[in-house]
Amino acid sequence: MPLYEVERISLEAISAIVCFILLKFMIRSYQATGENRYLGLPLGFGFLGASYAFSALSYSQIFSFSNWGWIQLFIRGFAFLFLAITYYFSKSEKNVKLLWNTSFGVLIIMFTSLILFAIFSPEISRSDYVLYYILIRVVSLLCVFYIIVHSLARHVKKPESTLLAPLGYVLLAIDQYSSLIWVVDASYFALFVGLLTRLGGLVLFLLIAQRTFFRSKRKGE
Amino acid sequence: MKKIRRRDKMKIYGDLLRELHHRPKDEKIVITQIQRKTNVPFDRLKAYLQELLDLGLIEDDTSLILSEKGKQYLREYEKVLDFMSRMGLYYR
Repeated sequence: MPLYEVERISLEAISAIVCFILLKFMIRSYQATGENRYLGLPLGFGFLGASYAFSALSYSQIFSFSNWGWIQLFIRGFAFLFLAITYYFSKSEKNVKLLWNTSFGVLIIMFTSLILFAIFSPEISRSDYVLYYILIRVVSLLCVFYIIVHSLARHVKKPESTLLAPLGYVLLAIDQYSSLIWVVDASYFALFVGLLTRLGGLVLFLLIAQRTFFRSKRKGE
Repeated sequence: MKKIRRRDKMKIYGDLLRELHHRPKDEKIVITQIQRKTNVPFDRLKAYLQELLDLGLIEDDTSLILSEKGKQYLREYEKVLDFMSRMGLYYR
């Protein structure tokens, strides 16, 4: 059994659970606003949770499937894309229904094609996997950087809003960067720094949800 | 009790309830002011107010005071807006 497998599986599984708890709050927000442009929020966190769950499954080797790595790679990459376009479209003052629907449609088609490719493709060489891994992680990093800048700009405009969200995304960016180091250098230190900072970021989002939905509930009672 | 079917109506209901709830209590209701603040055409505004009444979110169509259910709906709506703001999202 590879090194630290139990620790990796546990951290991936806990991250998946936290993401699925967050998903509930994201769905609630999407339902209350009723606007398609916020659909990326539940989709993004749902995809993130699914990708962590797939990682845990692939490490645990419960199901033997050679392309687990590709599936979790695509799902995680698209999670950050969905989140980034949600942040992008949220600032738009004009009616962006058509543009959103087009972007969303293109992403869904791309995602479905890539997942089908991952399931039905023959064995792909390790070097190709590493190349695509780096590419997708770099794109994910760019998406997270965009979200950080966006949420910081939002904070500057409305200082009473919290800094926890940009901080949470910074921690997710560190995770993406650490996973790049892990795949290139096989550094266990980078791997665990990434896993732990990611969990820290997700817990910060959970804290935001708790402060918003539960503290005010007690106040109102 | 009727259910809210179209999801995008939820935002309009939320904005309308917010406007009705936060106006000064002694202020006379001027429909055109509500129309301007919520950015809803006059004919549709009348229809939405009737729907709010049918859903039991306001007490009657003259005072436009929020019912208990309306206040509960507004609390949930404002929590969600607060959450989105804390997550660094814009909401217009």
